[in-house]
Amino acid sequence: MKIHKIIKHIAIKHHFVLAASFFLLISIFAGCKKDEPIDEDGLLITTRTECAVTNFELLGTDFVTVRSKTAVIDTIAGTINVEVLFGTDLKNLYPQFTLSQDAKLDPKITGKVDFSDMTNPKVYTVISGNRKVRTPFTIFITVQTPTL
Amino acid sequence: MKSKYFQYSHLLLLFIFLMAACKDDDYSIPDAGTALQNDCIKRSLGPNMVGLKIEFAYAMALPKTKGNLVSAQVEASIAGASTTYLENNSYYTNGSGVDVAVPIGLPSVNDGAVTTVTFNVDTSAATLRYYYVVPEAARGKTVSFTFSAKSSDGAIVSYKMGPYDVPKMDYKLNMVVTDGANCYVSIADMAVYDQADAALNADKIDLVYLYRSLTPLIFEHALVAPAADAQYRPGVTLPSGVNKNTKVLKVYGLQDRDLSNLQYNEYVDDLDFQQLDLSTAANFAINLKVEAGVWVETADGKYRAYIFVNSVSAGTTKQMTISMKRYLL
Repeated sequence: MKIHKIIKHIAIKHHFVLAASFFLLISIFAGCKKDEPIDEDGLLITTRTECAVTNFELLGTDFVTVRSKTAVIDTIAGTINVEVLFGTDLKNLYPQFTLSQDAKLDPKITGKVDFSDMTNPKVYTVISGNRKVRTPFTIFITVQTPTL
Repeated sequence: MKSKYFQYSHLLLLFIFLMAACKDDDYSIPDAGTALQNDCIKRSLGPNMVGLKIEFAYAMALPKTKGNLVSAQVEASIAGASTTYLENNSYYTNGSGVDVAVPIGLPSVNDGAVTTVTFNVDTSAATLRYYYVVPEAARGKTVSFTFSAKSSDGAIVSYKMGPYDVPKMDYKLNMVVTDGANCYVSIADMAVYDQADAALNADKIDLVYLYRSLTPLIFEHALVAPAADAQYRPGVTLPSGVNKNTKVLKVYGLQDRDLSNLQYNEYVDDLDFQQLDLSTAANFAINLKVEAGVWVETADGKYRAYIFVNSVSAGTTKQMTISMKRYLL
């Protein structure tokens, strides 16, 4: 009778050990997936090589556009030409870029940007999704001229 | 072995059911108190600016068998303006959702910082509204209130509210600026001047209003510093001595409730002025529209202000109605 109880106890113990091993195995397999590559900003590095600005916007301090017409983006020359409304406060503008898929911008835009120094136009570099192609874009701003 | 194993499973299931059964008790109406009691809420929102009212609703009640209410009073830590009052009406809400007033006593009496209403009807419950008109003496300070009620059985209860900050800022509503006439804005005086008065107050003129239709440019309604480049104030001849270089930052959609005649639920408060950075701001703002506004800092760095555009009219009138909050730095 006593031996019978011991065997029973060992059987239960064996059952739990099996179950625990099974879960451990699942956890190990779940944890063994291939890491996706990410860059220093925590963004996914993909295989894309496109490196373009597809749209450009400039907002004033009131978060309303200051463009007088659509910005002209030349991907080959790496230029963005934009005319802004007369009276635009060039020291306090918020640029907005739309980039090709998976690309990112350098330097990052973290707030207002001073575009008032027209002799030294701002340059932003677009970095492709695979982080291997870098295309600089120079932003040339002109202000509507008053005809008084 | 199997039966023992299932015995554990049943225990686990039982535990889960027990946990799932732990729900809150249903609400039940609390028992009425057996003595005089009171409660209070603050009804008004936003900055407690000097000149505006802070509104409270003060409720007091005792069991009918204990007697009736004799008086109610509020003591403010800083005496309110003379128009401060405790209403001598109690309110109930009728079936249509309308507050209906029931007179309960004589109009309140102010004695220094204490406002009192004496009941002249036999009632054992009332909710009175208290309107504290913030006095100049409270500017930049905090104010607290002690509400108290007395019943015919001699019981007294009290309820403390606050402290509440009273901002430093001032405000002025609905000033009309007109192109070529009352077009000179003084932040220091919170006033609008014409050419002649601007010449007399030249050192206080911070902005000039103008309206121009300069197709294809979009100029229209503008507020510019007197020292702004002449291209931003075409056709304006400034009075002698009007030359301040005021900082101006244009914004849109900052609809302060006080300045917009109680239309919206945003507030510009002291903190906004304290944290404002106008170091790179321009000295002009053109193409201003209704509900746009400008942050302003005077050339001497003494004042910051927020000017809200209430309305504009072009055509022959060329006017703008503006309201202002001003902060002394």
